[in-house]
Amino acid sequence: MTFAAAALAAVLPAALPAALQMSTPLALGAKAPMATTKMKNVDGKMLSIADVAGKAGTLVIFTCNHCPFAKGWEQRIAELGATYAKKGIGVLLINANDPAMHAEDDFAGTQARAKSLGLAVPYVVDDTSNVARAFGASVTPEAFLFDAGGKLAYHGTIDDNHRDPSKVEKRYLKDALDAVVAGKRPAVPESKGLGCGIKFRS
Amino acid sequence: MPDLDGGGRLRPMLAPALFAALLSLAGDPALPPPQPPAPAAAPQAPGPPAVAVAELPAILAAVRAPGARAVLVNVWASWCEPCRAEMPELMRFYRDNRARGLRLVLISADDEQERGTVERLLAAAAFDGPAFIKRGNDMDFIDALDRRWSGELPSTFVFDGRGQKRKFWPGTITYRELERSVGGLLGPDPAKPAPTHPKTRRPKP
Repeated sequence: MTFAAAALAAVLPAALPAALQMSTPLALGAKAPMATTKMKNVDGKMLSIADVAGKAGTLVIFTCNHCPFAKGWEQRIAELGATYAKKGIGVLLINANDPAMHAEDDFAGTQARAKSLGLAVPYVVDDTSNVARAFGASVTPEAFLFDAGGKLAYHGTIDDNHRDPSKVEKRYLKDALDAVVAGKRPAVPESKGLGCGIKFRS
Repeated sequence: MPDLDGGGRLRPMLAPALFAALLSLAGDPALPPPQPPAPAAAPQAPGPPAVAVAELPAILAAVRAPGARAVLVNVWASWCEPCRAEMPELMRFYRDNRARGLRLVLISADDEQERGTVERLLAAAAFDGPAFIKRGNDMDFIDALDRRWSGELPSTFVFDGRGQKRKFWPGTITYRELERSVGGLLGPDPAKPAPTHPKTRRPKP
């Protein structure tokens, strides 16, 4: 460590007060936190991440009903879920938003969205937002893909164009899913996209 | 990232080390070199806001253009409710501190087709600074502003007069937080004979 880097490290914590609420997302290689926490699915049944875990891997996506980014990607999320569920990936969509901020993010709204999308995968409500907190998730949508061994293999966004599927150049999540299904490491294990902040319950 | 102490001035013991650290970081590989400011980036130009659809280099040029003591960069969208909720405080802070050398750069994540909406909102807020609708890859944009940033809207970033980032807030900000973190970078208010900030010193003639 150079002197300058050491000096910078010494003052770094001062730049990050707790009030900042900077979330540190789950690290690559980590196991899913709160994997046995039951959350209410749109069909009324209680489901945990462990309940849906697939033989080839497990995909957890924090999303919601109101956010334009989430809406832009929701059809693609539904299609990826249906496609890769057939390839041995357990898929769980989680809405962690406080419905006090956006009424359509409540349970009924989540049920309605699952129906209108014809979701083939479960869509649960994290009614404390604690699962999202444990993942260090901060935006919607935000995907966490675990490999067959349960280790985080990919974290990030869906692709590089939420508005227009025909203009997508980088299919981050799909490429990562193909790699995990093939037992390989994703070439791009992390990506980012602009998104709505998760409306955490206080 | 160097922070300011409560009085808004660099701690004397750390200042030389910080300066060295800043120098060593001046060539942050995530940031393309400064470029001449885009026409839309003219700070504090009178008249209605001209919202430029721009890619990363033009936006960074507006952030780093000389002439400001501190630059606030706010990333928002017209449809983003928390973004719009914080906008009045942000605008009030900007208006109160513009004369002290504050520049505010607004970057909208709206679709280009929403330019009219963005311009209407900024006109209603009487904003006269540089405003952009961001175009291009999100990930490059996010990492250029801060590698630790998840891309959450809204988010606000503070740069000093040298274009060095000082701080960022994911999520909404308040007037008080801005005052605490940006106030120390700014100069005295020319309209007031005595600076309101107890530790702000007037520059020597």
